[in-house]
Amino acid sequence: MKAAVNRIVLYSLTALLLTASALTAQERNWERRSAPVDVPVTVFHSPQSANLPTAETLQSGEWLFEISHRFFPAVSEGADALWGFDGPVYNRLGLAYAPTDRLLIGIVRTNLHDNLDLNAKVRIAEGGQGATPWMMGVSGGVAFNTEAPLGADDNEVQAYGQAIFNVLLGDRFAVGVVPSALYNPTIRLATREVDFALGLNAQLYLSEQASFLAEWVVSPTHPDLDPAEFEHDSGSFGIELETGGHFFKVLLTNQIRMNPAQYLAGSLDAFEAGQWRVGFNVTRLLHF
Amino acid sequence: MLTSSGIHAAAGPSLRAGLAVLLLATAPFGAAAQEYHVDLNADNVVRFISEATIEDFEGVTERIDGFIVLGDGGLVSGATAGSDFYLEVDLGSLDTGIGLRNRHMRDNYLETDRFPYATFSGSFAEVSEGNDGWKRVTGAGDLGIHGVSRSVEVACDVAPAGSGFRARCSFEVLLSDFDIEIPKVMFMKLADEIRLELDFFVTPAHLEGESP
Repeated sequence: MKAAVNRIVLYSLTALLLTASALTAQERNWERRSAPVDVPVTVFHSPQSANLPTAETLQSGEWLFEISHRFFPAVSEGADALWGFDGPVYNRLGLAYAPTDRLLIGIVRTNLHDNLDLNAKVRIAEGGQGATPWMMGVSGGVAFNTEAPLGADDNEVQAYGQAIFNVLLGDRFAVGVVPSALYNPTIRLATREVDFALGLNAQLYLSEQASFLAEWVVSPTHPDLDPAEFEHDSGSFGIELETGGHFFKVLLTNQIRMNPAQYLAGSLDAFEAGQWRVGFNVTRLLHF
Repeated sequence: MLTSSGIHAAAGPSLRAGLAVLLLATAPFGAAAQEYHVDLNADNVVRFISEATIEDFEGVTERIDGFIVLGDGGLVSGATAGSDFYLEVDLGSLDTGIGLRNRHMRDNYLETDRFPYATFSGSFAEVSEGNDGWKRVTGAGDLGIHGVSRSVEVACDVAPAGSGFRARCSFEVLLSDFDIEIPKVMFMKLADEIRLELDFFVTPAHLEGESP
């Protein structure tokens, strides 16, 4: 009888202790409660190429300040023009702000016709993380030519809209297609039409800091203008260096106009080595 | 009715031996030890602070998780036996305020696709009285960043908060100790020495999900 009681007590205590032990062990058996955060899709690192926009936007609350130059003399003018650096220059200053991760609003001004451009860009969709990252966006703006050239009205208005398709191939080669519409491309003419242009851009990322970039804008022709100031398509190529808060682009280009309402219309000079000009874009990202 | 004295009286030599084995087997999980989990609903914050010559910035995240086990003595000065902890920070969530810099942190330096977490595991080395109800707790263990593990000692201030505790820790690490290369070009603005600040809350594991 005593042995039976012993066995019952032993079994009961065993069950109790094992249960308690299991419960305690379970408490110690901590498990991760969430997966690592998904990192944002990246195709182009910068919100802009030489001139064309990319679908990249900024993080909510970020500011972007830009200063860009395009030098008038061609590099081919040699030492007399300091290989293009003598100037004068077209200058562009810009400021953009991201109220959300997907929306970028900005203002840019260039001294060519004192063109003042109010713009917005929206990143619509993205995907392909881990495979073939892609991104889509739209941008648009209204431009006022506050120092109108001969033939144009004061503050003559232009407007444009652009669809942006970007994809990253093989982790290093980003490609963009930017079909664009431009209202009133030739402000020196009385007619105010809508033209269409096609922007193509690509960027080869050599490292996280350095890349080659190139872009081409197929613009409509305007044979009724004399001189044919928008006769040619625009081509640009160069390098981009990026740090944690800057993009530095150094370019050769036949297009010295920088605001969208201007470069989309075309270029005065052909894309030939003798016509290449030096340009740079410097952008600084800020967060207050 | 079976009382403890009754058990003792009823227990023969084989029963006592069996009980001894059972108690030894379950000793690591002593009933007095208490496990706490990081309260994911609390205002936790982890800061990676870089103070370089040209520019200071900090990466901030709330994504810290892990557990702390207090030994038999609980959080009492001088009592550290049976304590251990494991903490991890999701490095991919670090936000410096600038998306581009976040990407550089993730891709260039921390390589979060390969090493998504910074981890710190070890045990308490010392508990002493601090100021204003806080206790000074020193933890010694292994800090893992970028796939490299280093032994470190970290001092934290710990105070009761609700049913659990709040812990605040601050310490420095050298990125070079963790095989993180900083490009040697003038416009890179990341310091080798990074200060880590942790401020987080833990609640008893059995109350997880409840408000403290």
